[in-house]
Amino acid sequence: MKLKLVTLLAWVVCFLMVRAPLFAHHGNVAYDTSKTIVLKEATVTKFVWANPHSVVMFDAKDDKGNVQHWAGEAGSPSALGLIGWSSKSIQPGDVITVYIYPAKTGRPVGRLNRIVLADGTVLKDSALGYRETE
Amino acid sequence: MRNFLVSSIVALAVVLAFSPVAGAQVFSGPGQVDQRPDSLYQRLEKTGGTGGPAPTRDLTGFWTGPLEPKLGQAPPMTALGQTRFKANIPDPFSVHSNDPWGTCDPFGFPRSVTNETRGIAFSPMPDRIVIMTQYQKIWRAVWMDGRPLPKNVGAKGGPEAKWYGYSVGHWDGDHTLVVETNGVDDRSWLDRRGYPHSVDMHVEERYTRLDHNTLELTVTIDDPKIYTKPFVVATNRFKWIPNQDDEEQLCVPSEMISYFNTVALPANQDEVTGKK
Repeated sequence: MKLKLVTLLAWVVCFLMVRAPLFAHHGNVAYDTSKTIVLKEATVTKFVWANPHSVVMFDAKDDKGNVQHWAGEAGSPSALGLIGWSSKSIQPGDVITVYIYPAKTGRPVGRLNRIVLADGTVLKDSALGYRETE
Repeated sequence: MRNFLVSSIVALAVVLAFSPVAGAQVFSGPGQVDQRPDSLYQRLEKTGGTGGPAPTRDLTGFWTGPLEPKLGQAPPMTALGQTRFKANIPDPFSVHSNDPWGTCDPFGFPRSVTNETRGIAFSPMPDRIVIMTQYQKIWRAVWMDGRPLPKNVGAKGGPEAKWYGYSVGHWDGDHTLVVETNGVDDRSWLDRRGYPHSVDMHVEERYTRLDHNTLELTVTIDDPKIYTKPFVVATNRFKWIPNQDDEEQLCVPSEMISYFNTVALPANQDEVTGKK
């Protein structure tokens, strides 16, 4: 029994130690990173290319067919620029697929895992884009 | 019992596989390793080399560093220090923070060298060296003509405190620039963790050029009103940028406000947990 508890504790401590650096710079505690929501046929309404967080704003339908106005944050231009993004990557009107870690509040806001453009180009988030989903 | 141990080890291995410390390696397919590309600084640390010996008493040029330095542990604080520390709520991307960074207020000093440290540059002027921080395009002029630091800054009859204080410097040997700063406006935080300082703080930076391509920095705080002993708040390392190009990194107030309204507020977790 004691060994079980010690092992569990050790695992939790290691987990926390490993997670902390990822979130050290920008707090991602508000997001549920245990699952991604996939939003297909999302229409970009605004793309903010800004420090320290870029933000993709888009409209996407929920399960009931209602349009939700989403905001998905991603890394800074310095970080995203290294992995294929530019200020011109997307513009209002573009139709994309969004993989996003939703806010625990349940509101249509989250941290991007990645987006997929109409031509198939995959753009990952600099912080959370290197985790596999689905 | 044994199954639990085994599954714990497996879980730990999975967790470590996601470790950002390991360079965010993820297996994305059979035999495939998908790794986040290195920043310029990381690449130069791996392959940049020494570039030859350090020139004598010269740091001129543009340098690249990691996003953040290594931050040191603060010693026990005085009663005043503890009160001021408790009043600072870090994490500028959360709704309840009062980090002045949230509205792009000046970082002040030494935060300009303890937070957002991707770029630094040095430029000589007669009797001065100008130290330039890439983030927010912050510059500070360091007097090299032997003058002393001012006294009574912030006191009645004395000079005004400034966000970036007053700096004087000298060379220690041929490769270490020592910069001393005082008179810093006490509204600024020492770093992103929210450590406070008083206007009587004295800061020493030691920039040591190890070789042509490598620069190390140690930042030491001496502020007896707040900290019970001097301490190293940050250490950092920079590499010479081969093409000497810098990047632009600005904190734009309207962008921060927009971020707050479109992301931080709707994602406000404290609302969910019910704590303020």
